[in-house]
Amino acid sequence: MSARVDLVEGGRIALFSLRANRLRTVLTTVGIGIGVATLLAIVGIIQGLNTSFDAQLANIGANNLFVSKWPWVIKGDWWEFRNRKDFTLEDVELVRAQSTYATAVAPMSGRSSDVAHGPEQVSNVRINGTTREYLTIGGLDVVQGRFLTDADNETIAAVAVLGADVAGSLFPGIDPLGRSVRIDGRPFRVVGVLGREGKLLDNNLDLQVLVPFKTFRALFGKGRSLTIAVSITRLEDLALAEDQLVGILRRARGTPPDAPEDFSINKPDQLASTYEQLTGALYGVATGIGLITLLVGGIGIMNIMLVSVRERTREIGVRRALGARKRTIVLQFLMEASAVSAFGGALGTAVGLAGAKIVSEISPLAAAVQPLTVAGGVGFAGMVGLLFGIWPAARAANLDPVEALRYE
Amino acid sequence: MLISVEDITRTYVVGGETVHALRGVSFTLDKGQWVAIVGQSGSGKSTMMNVLGCLDTPSGGRYMLNGQDVSRMSDDQLAGVRNREIGFIFQTFQLLPRETALANVELPLVYRGLRPKERRERARAALDKVGLTPRIHHRPNELSGGQRQRVAIARALVAEPSLLLADEPTGNLDSATGEEIIRLFEQLHHAGHTIILVTHEPKLAARCPRAIRLSDGRIVDDGRGEAVAFGSRREAVG
Repeated sequence: MSARVDLVEGGRIALFSLRANRLRTVLTTVGIGIGVATLLAIVGIIQGLNTSFDAQLANIGANNLFVSKWPWVIKGDWWEFRNRKDFTLEDVELVRAQSTYATAVAPMSGRSSDVAHGPEQVSNVRINGTTREYLTIGGLDVVQGRFLTDADNETIAAVAVLGADVAGSLFPGIDPLGRSVRIDGRPFRVVGVLGREGKLLDNNLDLQVLVPFKTFRALFGKGRSLTIAVSITRLEDLALAEDQLVGILRRARGTPPDAPEDFSINKPDQLASTYEQLTGALYGVATGIGLITLLVGGIGIMNIMLVSVRERTREIGVRRALGARKRTIVLQFLMEASAVSAFGGALGTAVGLAGAKIVSEISPLAAAVQPLTVAGGVGFAGMVGLLFGIWPAARAANLDPVEALRYE
Repeated sequence: MLISVEDITRTYVVGGETVHALRGVSFTLDKGQWVAIVGQSGSGKSTMMNVLGCLDTPSGGRYMLNGQDVSRMSDDQLAGVRNREIGFIFQTFQLLPRETALANVELPLVYRGLRPKERRERARAALDKVGLTPRIHHRPNELSGGQRQRVAIARALVAEPSLLLADEPTGNLDSATGEEIIRLFEQLHHAGHTIILVTHEPKLAARCPRAIRLSDGRIVDDGRGEAVAFGSRREAVG
């Protein structure tokens, strides 16, 4: 008898048996289904996170470098970074003069503050002091009015460019241009409004106000940490530009040749790798949970298959007497087990996808499941069934036909 | 010669004790013969039937079936021999309860690898031969005992085996229905089928042209059915 017949007959018997025991099939399926659903929902959420993170990262601009005494991701002693020497405007000018890769250089300092207009007030707004060139570096859109100018900076003008959310909250339905806002109690004249920027991780980029750098200093003090934002000509030159920057700044700060840098050159892909570490751990935990659920589901399948073998002992005896080989019996039960599992996998996939969809609807997480993940879910569930079906199937095939026929 | 059994022994080890179910059995059977194997319970006739049906392999001796030495075959080969050479008829019918009469009869042909259409045609013909055409789509629990045994006989016939092996085929039937089944066996015998019928009923054995009596794992009588069934030997107690 051919393998084809084994397969066809095995499949027919498997389906027949699943139909005959509908309730049992469904219950058995649930275990596997939950495992697959859990895995898929979590994978979907993580894939969604990745997508939105990539988009946010693109927002920062991949060819930007941010030089600061603070690293973006602090590893080690906070005090060590705190005690580093602050950058100055002279350093900014030095970079502008000496870096051959920089297309735009801007100083940046920031703090949080309340911003108010009349009775309207917005709390925890990021106030950034910077210069004209930050428009290019930040990839910003000015939708109303103008951006900061060099003249604003030199004259220490009390002017402000509002982020989209700040403008929307303080001036609902009103043109904010030329009007006055109070930042930390001092009046600023609105000269421009930024387009919508979105979020970067936890930071709402639309909840910011940009003011001239020197104005910021005058208002909030010179002691504040300064970041040198540098935009590079081409992404391919990033490493070269970074090396050059290190050289310029080491000299400016008088760092001895054998000492490590006492500043950090921050770039978006640093965030990316930190992010990947975070989600990698999440992935690991989620996969672990999913696998354990699948294991439990698999044991459920094994259990039900053992019951099925016991119930059908006589049937197995009859089939063996009529010429079924061990292989045929093994295949019959394996197909039954993997069919139950794959069915559960399909069910779980549907639930998991729905779950991911719901999450993306009701939460800011944009869950996205790739088609390959779906195929993987169903296939993996089938494999679990196959694996946990082996033992029961082998038991069935190794029954002594004489004993099996006599079984009551 | 269809069957040649030479000095077959079969021993089991049960709970550390060796049980000799067959202690050296030899006989031959020609094509077209109908023989009853009789004996009391414990005489070894069930073991004999399992060995003859290739469901069990002998511990010693040689069993030639249709020119093949089946006493040395692998499990898979034996499955093939059972499929091609042997049609089983059991006391308890052994039909698959969830399948129709037609599907039950098709089963040996499934394992022979025939296409569905041919299977169905041959199964219909076999059911027709046993007079069950109107019942082919019924499940076993919708059939009477006699009808079930007819389905089982059709299943045994459908693959055109060289040997029909019946184990107490009337044991679960009332006497009138049992008689119908015996008549069916007589017809099959006249049609040229080779039949081995295992029974403990002397009346049934007496209907067979030949009977072999087993006692304590040995052949103690072999001759005309009537003579062996109601023979003068002391063992011949029905």
